[in-house]
Amino acid sequence: MAKTILVIDDSASLRQVVKMALTGAGYNVIEAGDGQAALALLDGRQVNMAICDVNMPIMNGIEFVKAAKALAAYKFMPILMLTTESQEEKKEQGKAAGAKAWMVKPFSPTQLVNAVSKLCV
Amino acid sequence: MSSNSEPNQAQPAHAADAVIKLCAGVLPVWVRQLAASRSQSEVAVTQMLQAFADIGPHINMAERQSQQITDALSQSDGVTSLTQACERLLTPFIQSQQLPPDAAQAIEQVLDMVRKAVSALELIPQPFTHETQMVAEQVERMYIGFQYQDRISQMMALMENDIARLQQVVNGESAELPDLAAWLERLESQYAMEEQRQNHSGIGPNGANDDKETTFF
Repeated sequence: MAKTILVIDDSASLRQVVKMALTGAGYNVIEAGDGQAALALLDGRQVNMAICDVNMPIMNGIEFVKAAKALAAYKFMPILMLTTESQEEKKEQGKAAGAKAWMVKPFSPTQLVNAVSKLCV
Repeated sequence: MSSNSEPNQAQPAHAADAVIKLCAGVLPVWVRQLAASRSQSEVAVTQMLQAFADIGPHINMAERQSQQITDALSQSDGVTSLTQACERLLTPFIQSQQLPPDAAQAIEQVLDMVRKAVSALELIPQPFTHETQMVAEQVERMYIGFQYQDRISQMMALMENDIARLQQVVNGESAELPDLAAWLERLESQYAMEEQRQNHSGIGPNGANDDKETTFF
């Protein structure tokens, strides 16, 4: 059965790029436009991993990671931060919140699929 | 003399007033134009991606088929091993003293035809494999290229917000008096990309300093 990846980004085109890269590698993808919508989408659903932007309206990526990690069912769900942010300070915030990896946009599909296959075991 | 100095004192105030009126009229136009450009670029890229999503499975299928052909040819019972199998089976007969010379020559000719046919078959998937590899590489580049719209959109959104903030100051809607250093500091704090920081300080852009590696925690 295909693993399900939750992609959270306020850019529809970026979500589409991620979706195309991951579905081509055999993953099932569900999407949300911000952290709050992503939390609503989780709601007990089987999700193997999340890929999350940092700068988003309503609820940003760091807040989402903290909120997701507070939910028992998603405490161990690996989260990859996919963002244009490359500052070490921001990376540390992501790490402290509970993210498992940090990737800077623009990414190559090979780079993304490699990271996902490493995290989504 | 005083009649000459009066207009000089009044002129800066008049000019400042004119600049404020100019900004009050122009800045909202800039904001609207930036917002429209951002929105249209998003629509354009989304449409291109949709078209690309439609042809993507066909490209993947061509890639898989190319690999299947290559695999089929190179399997132990495939075409590539046909020459070796024929040579293994027929060589004892060729070497046999009992075989008439004409028959040995005929077998050699058949073996030669098999070798040529196998070589020709082996060459068939090579251009196909090359083409699908090239397409795969270009697809990878397209995926990366599409993401620049997202970067541009973020940069433009920040400019939109900053112009709107300036508009508030010009319209007298801001509680605080504008301070250049504080303004620039606040703007800089909102940058997400190294390229923006380089542009801000006038170093860049060279766009080369963003981390391209994945950091695992």
